[in-house]
Amino acid sequence: MMMKWTDDTLMAFVDGELDAAQRADIERALAADAALRQRVTALTMQRERVAAAFAPVLDEPVPDRLAGLLRPSSMPPAAAPVNLDERRAARERSARLPSWAQWGGLAASVLMGVLLGMQFKPGGADLAIELRDGQLLAGGAVEKALASQLASQPVVGAPVAVQLSFVDKGGSYCRTFSTAAMAGLACKQGERWAVQSLATAASTPASAVRQAASALPPAVLSAVDQRIAGDALDSAHERQARDRGWRR
Amino acid sequence: MADSSQNVRDEIAALLPRLRRFGRTLARHREDADDLVQTAVERALVRTDQWQPGTRLDSWMFRIMQNAWIDETRARERRGQTFVAEEYGEQIGVSTTDAQIDAIAVRKAVAQLGDDQRAVVGLVLVEGLPYKEAAEVLGVPIGTLTSRLARAREALQAILAGAEGTR
Repeated sequence: MMMKWTDDTLMAFVDGELDAAQRADIERALAADAALRQRVTALTMQRERVAAAFAPVLDEPVPDRLAGLLRPSSMPPAAAPVNLDERRAARERSARLPSWAQWGGLAASVLMGVLLGMQFKPGGADLAIELRDGQLLAGGAVEKALASQLASQPVVGAPVAVQLSFVDKGGSYCRTFSTAAMAGLACKQGERWAVQSLATAASTPASAVRQAASALPPAVLSAVDQRIAGDALDSAHERQARDRGWRR
Repeated sequence: MADSSQNVRDEIAALLPRLRRFGRTLARHREDADDLVQTAVERALVRTDQWQPGTRLDSWMFRIMQNAWIDETRARERRGQTFVAEEYGEQIGVSTTDAQIDAIAVRKAVAQLGDDQRAVVGLVLVEGLPYKEAAEVLGVPIGTLTSRLARAREALQAILAGAEGTR
């Protein structure tokens, strides 16, 4: 059992380069081997950390000397859009980043390795994410909250909060959720809720479960933006949807 | 004809934020990185007909950037000039968050890597290219790519661990 997995194999796993059979082998081993989880988590964290260090470049305005090279020659240079509200909103969004580690671009299997590697309290709501066939599914307290709790009626003190319910472009119901240690977006898929986006509290979990949608991490909010068709459900429609078991 | 060339221009324009980001992993200074993007875009525009539709335009642009960077590095060596080091410290202000401080430390660590290692870090860890695409951009076999990547990761970890130890 010792050193069965080489650093190169684990690196390829974290970079999403392994085939399904190899991934499944490692996933099984991860569940049983704390040292392996630690190695995978370290590699994953490093990848995320490096990506996060350069990510802000994407939000910088592109200098006109570059954008101008690609403009049709007949078109005059655009006046710089100065919308202070938008700029402030963008700054505030990025200022919220430090409290969340975001796992947007990672394969489900790698994410699961990270979740297993974190020291969640046994029996707590935080183990409530399962990996099945390369997909993350809500389980335990999260699954229960998604099925029954109404965003329009927050339950104070509940281990899981639900903030938004909406119909996605594919016609499925989707809901955001958070616990003290994580937040995410899940969409109904058959009988289960498939997790589409997940962020974990980077350092110490927040003392209170976040009730407000505005407190969701940017990665989760942007996943909502990408999927939502129309507006979020109002309280009457949300209640109807729940009473029908979130089937459409 | 004019239309398809304008389409490619539009697609390159949409890639500019990512090209600038890749430039920032290759060149250590913002102005050098934007100069590099500018050179690469100018080169790409005179040979848009060489890009194969159906292949990744981002990889094609990254390859042009990487080659332009090698040219620039050699030219500066011949002229005996060195690149200005990025003054990461000046960015720290009162409102700097922990995440920003960490980002600065990581960018500094990446800047300490050699040219080859910075390129693989930029392509795989930052731009998220599959190994095969990244190897093609750099014109190296996949085994070379993965060993460079493994060494770059070890080096980064060592630099960052050292920096944290002295904090």
